[in-house]
Amino acid sequence: MADTSTSLLSESGNAPASAPAQAPPAQRAPETFRRPPQHSGPVTALQFVQRICAKSALPTAANLEDSVIAGDPTTAITGIATTAIATLDCLRTAAASGRNLIVTLEPIFWADEDNLDRMEGNRQFQAKRDFIRSYNLVCFHLHGHWPASGPDGIALGMAKELGWENNFADPATPTRFKLPPTTLLSLARELAAKLNSRTMRIVGDPSLPVESVAAIWGNAPQMPALHLLNEPVDVVLTGYTHEWEAVEYVQDMISAGRKKGMILLGEARSEQAGMKYCAEWLKTFISEVPIEFVPSVEPYWNLHHPDTEIAAEPPTANR
Amino acid sequence: MMRMRNLEISRREAIRRAAAAAATLAVTSLSSPASAAAPLSVQDVLDRMKQRIGTPWFEGGVDRIIAGAAGSEVKGIGTAMMATFDALKDTVKAGANLLITHEPTFWSHPDTLTSLMDDPLYKVKQDYIREHNLVSFHFHDHWHALRPVDGINRGTRDQMGWTDYMDPKNQRIYDLPPTTLLALAREFQTKLGARTLRVVGDPSLPVKRVYESWGYCSPFPGVDFLDSDVDAMVIGEAQDWDLIAYAQDAVASGRKKALIILGHVRSEMWGMKYCAEWLRGFVPEVPVHFIPNIEPYWNIEEPVFEINTKL
Repeated sequence: MADTSTSLLSESGNAPASAPAQAPPAQRAPETFRRPPQHSGPVTALQFVQRICAKSALPTAANLEDSVIAGDPTTAITGIATTAIATLDCLRTAAASGRNLIVTLEPIFWADEDNLDRMEGNRQFQAKRDFIRSYNLVCFHLHGHWPASGPDGIALGMAKELGWENNFADPATPTRFKLPPTTLLSLARELAAKLNSRTMRIVGDPSLPVESVAAIWGNAPQMPALHLLNEPVDVVLTGYTHEWEAVEYVQDMISAGRKKGMILLGEARSEQAGMKYCAEWLKTFISEVPIEFVPSVEPYWNLHHPDTEIAAEPPTANR
Repeated sequence: MMRMRNLEISRREAIRRAAAAAATLAVTSLSSPASAAAPLSVQDVLDRMKQRIGTPWFEGGVDRIIAGAAGSEVKGIGTAMMATFDALKDTVKAGANLLITHEPTFWSHPDTLTSLMDDPLYKVKQDYIREHNLVSFHFHDHWHALRPVDGINRGTRDQMGWTDYMDPKNQRIYDLPPTTLLALAREFQTKLGARTLRVVGDPSLPVKRVYESWGYCSPFPGVDFLDSDVDAMVIGEAQDWDLIAYAQDAVASGRKKALIILGHVRSEMWGMKYCAEWLRGFVPEVPVHFIPNIEPYWNIEEPVFEINTKL
């Protein structure tokens, strides 16, 4: 870049390297003009965030979720990490490889919209905030809404991970699948293997014949879940849904003689392949820094797999 | 990905309302059981419950008759954690017609019906209730407000055999004989039948002091419970992106903490077992049955099918 600037300066004789491009004089052949570089310094977090937002379909109304939640937006970015949820594990992994812009689907500070009202004086909040500061991390909460047009990125990423891209029941709806005939138990085993889920929970008859599958990746609120269960689908896949709402509803459907099933994968397992795909999507318009997906550990274990995936730091005084 | 604010009124809120109502308590005499001549109505049973709950009845929560009529004659009573279709069938099978349920009948905490008018399952369930003259009474807030000990806490405590371990200053904290997280999880699985429980933390973590929040636990005050001077917290359910993520970060930062997630039904149903016992003390006219709910889920290592599909 420096060479370009120098030669440009010597050619035009007056424009500094940072000056805006000017129309070439009419008498000069176009091929001899070289545009000055727009950027000679590093790209900041805010510049990347703005670029990502411009490529997304974020709601026009003020959206608290899709914003920089932590870190200094003017930070020079050396790499980007995408993840389902910016847990401390994830931040450590990202920081260790110099990925200091964290693009996360779920909150950083353990609350919808990263509400900090109750965090004053909370030492775990302070510790996470201080970690973010000390490693010059910037956390950007991107709760879906990408790309600007076409199928939802999270849904497409999940379909790719499952190898179901040729199984869309309707290409316009990448959360509906028509699968080769299987059973609820076989489907659950397939998901466990493909999504690396140890603790998924299933509602319904294990021998239920399954062909038509629909997903609400992540959290399934009551009404969309109830409506989806009434569609001609055999099984609904989701991350989490309240036990007194859709879980009770699908039990009642089965009790009333309907042939239905539901699989609860856990929030991160049910959407993180979408953030893996997000890293690929970001690479289509960000080339200055490396971009990588940071997988989440499964937060919990069960009695079939009594070992934790969470890597613990040595205890600190901050009990 | 969709997110909806949790509208559940927590039991802390229920207790707060109970305390507020207590300020305006009028002295009420306990009514005696109805004479043999008059049939026992649902309202009679509810009136006796209201007098014995130990706190004045308060409005603004979710406790009310959800389906059926207050004037119906009571042939028998069932108590359940959740008024699932299975629980309704079991109530009928037991010869009872009043189901006292801790959790909803119609799939939302306040049993909101506005969006269900065209719902086919709503119609099936309502028709079943009508055909069998059932009455469903939502008994959530006041059962948590039972004094001296929250009715759910007492039932689950009894099921665990933890009466002697309760902290005298806080009915939700238990000082257990020293154990490990894994051993404690196994104890929950055995005593509460929670086959799909999930645990955040080091299985070998030494555990002595435990904070319980049976049922759904919201991030606040859940975070404060976990941060108090306990080794582990045990709950029914929570959202992965709030309390569970907080526990995960606590473990990752080296804090000696753990969170056990039992499932909502398995963590609280024992409180409705105790509710049956409580009702027997002042409703001698009809049999009172505890209607256990199944655990809704299974894991792939142990597939089971327990839902009753017979109508």
